[in-house]
Amino acid sequence: MLFRDFGGNSGLIKTPWLWWMSGDEINPAAVAQAVEDVQGDDRWMSQHTRFVQECKDAEPEVLFIGDSMVQLMQQYEIWRELFSPLHALNFGIGGDTTCNVLWRLQNGELDNIRPKVTVVWVGTNNHEHSAEQVAGGILAIAQLLTSRLPKTKVVVLGLLARGDGPNPLREKNAAVNGFLRSWLPRLGQAQFLDVGAGFVHSDGTISTRDMFDFLHLTAAGYRAIAKPLSDLLLQILDETPEEKRASLV
Amino acid sequence: MSSEDSNPAATPTPGVDTQGDGRWMSLHNHFVSNSKDKEPDVLFVGDSLVQLLYQFEVWRDLFSPLHALNFGVGGDATQHVLWRLSNGELGHISPKVVVLWVGTNNHGHTAEQICGGIMAIVQLIKDKLPKAYTLVLGVLPRGKMPNPLRERNAQVNKLVQEAVSSLPHASLLNVDPGFVHSDGSISHQDLYDYLHLTPQGYQAVCQPLHAHLKGLLEKQAEN
Repeated sequence: MLFRDFGGNSGLIKTPWLWWMSGDEINPAAVAQAVEDVQGDDRWMSQHTRFVQECKDAEPEVLFIGDSMVQLMQQYEIWRELFSPLHALNFGIGGDTTCNVLWRLQNGELDNIRPKVTVVWVGTNNHEHSAEQVAGGILAIAQLLTSRLPKTKVVVLGLLARGDGPNPLREKNAAVNGFLRSWLPRLGQAQFLDVGAGFVHSDGTISTRDMFDFLHLTAAGYRAIAKPLSDLLLQILDETPEEKRASLV
Repeated sequence: MSSEDSNPAATPTPGVDTQGDGRWMSLHNHFVSNSKDKEPDVLFVGDSLVQLLYQFEVWRDLFSPLHALNFGVGGDATQHVLWRLSNGELGHISPKVVVLWVGTNNHGHTAEQICGGIMAIVQLIKDKLPKAYTLVLGVLPRGKMPNPLRERNAQVNKLVQEAVSSLPHASLLNVDPGFVHSDGSISHQDLYDYLHLTPQGYQAVCQPLHAHLKGLLEKQAEN
């Protein structure tokens, strides 16, 4: 199981332990795993390699990492307007699960960079895993980030609702968010941001004006989530003192 | 070409909901009902390369003025498009031109099968819309460096070009402006994941496409 109880008190809050649970089952959503090239053009590895190369040249203040929700954002004007000015790097790859993001972060995508804030948005593609496991996988990512980059603040974006009408994946994503809301604050440097308000209408539907395929955001959809996110990033960046870079002294 | 029965790429097949939110069917139904009160002159149909085109400014600039509808579904292969067009998406509209862009997602199929799938769609459109012209867009190269899918896609284009050459109601347009550089690489500035187009990539593809479309529409108007 994901959790380990301390003592026999049934009312005790369970602490999420992640991928080094000796004697317990490993959380599969917290196991680093590269994407296999099934199609034949090796695109996943090409993108990863490019990101590792970008780490060598860039000095980002903000790092975005995750799946297509992150990746697609960079193709819209909103990225240039709100996030490029913050010196943000975008390491999103469509289709990625928590396992894939973990692998990428462990294999070069954090080398030589010291972003002040890391934005994590992943989990909606973890189809083999339960909500609890997905949340545990996201926690594992947040923990990895704070251990590799001790001064970074981690912002985890909530998973959005998906599908035309109510369906099991909406419930699952909402459950993931519920776990994240309780667990993330315990990491100290991490916080949860829910950007999903307003996408599901009173009749339970999602509009293609916001999500063109009931999953991926349109320009209008991104505009709606980018404002609260950029406000939070600006707030964090303002609060973070300029790091003295030893190499420049 | 293989007959419909033995060519999976030419056998109408609905998308399967493997994830649990029924999005493929939702999109199909959305397109069917969407077409009830529209009178498009141009219909774009295909996979994510069509679908994503709708999300960027280039659509508003170049194709909205041509009264175009967009029935792109990410992940679709030829057999999925064939199913959609056979099951209502052509029900209430009479576009003058259908722009068909599909084939890159036909994993496991040979170039011959994929060509067969594309030609099955061309035939279906002719059956349902006898006056429409079908403009098949060439499948783009993909992957950062040379790979078997590039060869497959190039072969598809060659076979389709041959197949449509005798047809008065269809043609193939190569919309690759030269994405592959002299060292064999494709840039992420054009194809952000070495498959999907950036807005810059779309500009390079769509300017000549738009010009060609306008020419076709003018010719259709004269007939």
